Amino acid sequence: MSRVAPTRGSKTLSFLFISLSALLLYLDTTYKSFESIKNIYKSFAISTSYILKKSTIDPISYIYELSIDKSYLLKENKELKLALDKSHLSNFIISKDSNFFANDKLIENFLTKNDISNIFYLSKIKSFDTQLYFCCSQHRVFIEIFNKPNMSLVGSAVINSSGILGQIIHDAGVQEVLLLTDKSHVLPVESENHFCNAKGNGDPGIIYCTYSTLLWPEEIKQGQSFFSSGMGGVYPRGLLIGHVGEIIKIDDSMIRFEIELISDPLQDNVLGVLEN
Amino acid sequence: MNDISVIKVFFILFVVDYIESLVAPFLLQGFISLPLTFLAFSLIVYRSNSNTGSIFAFLIGIYVDIISDSPIGLNAILFCLMSHLINSYSNTFRLFSYFQICLFFSASSLFFIGFRNLFINIENFSYLELLISFIFNSILLIILSISRFNFLRNISKR
Repeated sequence: MSRVAPTRGSKTLSFLFISLSALLLYLDTTYKSFESIKNIYKSFAISTSYILKKSTIDPISYIYELSIDKSYLLKENKELKLALDKSHLSNFIISKDSNFFANDKLIENFLTKNDISNIFYLSKIKSFDTQLYFCCSQHRVFIEIFNKPNMSLVGSAVINSSGILGQIIHDAGVQEVLLLTDKSHVLPVESENHFCNAKGNGDPGIIYCTYSTLLWPEEIKQGQSFFSSGMGGVYPRGLLIGHVGEIIKIDDSMIRFEIELISDPLQDNVLGVLEN
Repeated sequence: MNDISVIKVFFILFVVDYIESLVAPFLLQGFISLPLTFLAFSLIVYRSNSNTGSIFAFLIGIYVDIISDSPIGLNAILFCLMSHLINSYSNTFRLFSYFQICLFFSASSLFFIGFRNLFINIENFSYLELLISFIFNSILLIILSISRFNFLRNISKR
């Protein structure tokens, strides 16, 4: 289909609109007359794109970010937990360090009160299996001595602020302490004219004495105090060990009684090692 | 416009103008200016079965001026000129080959670029840019006019 050639009227119209366009161009370039129209269009375009973005892209990106945030929060939670554990650990160490001098004084007071002039070394509990302590007969504590002398401390008594705990049986870097309540431990004790080798039996806080009434006719009473006799040279003499608890008559001549210890290995973390 | 409705033309030019704004920064690095909006309008007028009115060309020109942030009247004057030119030579184009028509539109785009640069980019007016743009546009239009790339004609006929 052929197109009709422009008529005189259409040519005039074209010339008119070309002239009008030229006039508008002149006005705009010279006087910036149409800036407001352009600004209206720009604001409309920006608003439209903003609304479109808000209603289409943003919900999708929100869902995506939500999934990312969840994994990020989990990761952050793990990191915070780790930091909290570290903080707990450091606070534990700080609190123990602050107690260090208090324990030092307590042990010193205990020795002064009991008139003991032995040199003592401060030590710290390295490992104590409390589960074994409460369930079984093997009662051991591993300690680390601060400023340890260049000599073996095997056989040295170990005390805390409440009393005698036991003695060192191994000294190789870390010292192993045999507690009074260990089944293999024997502690010579005395009370007035009575002497006895108190043995541990694996019961926490209790040691046992067995004696013959034929050799020791005087009666034992509940609550009677027993002290270390100093025999064997491990423990200083005259330290309060505990008080008589339950008394059991094994047969006509044999009596077995409990001594409830006044010392508690669970009381302090800082201990004293008495030099022999 | 018999073939494409006014709303479609507005929409097509809006999209083409957007594409032009995306492509232009890359092409300008090679001193190439590709007036896609102008060429799209020229194609619409060229493919039309009837003469395009001056009012239509003027309004479309004003519309393109607004959306492309050009001085008001710049595209309007060029669109009016182009539509008048195509209307005047619409029957003559039938005698031309595609190659000649491609050269005509390349020359038109060259005029468009030069005229536009006079108003909005006079400080950086470059004959090199005009020359390279002319060669580039010619090659591009020739490639598009080759029969196997003639999908543009099919689209405009729908």
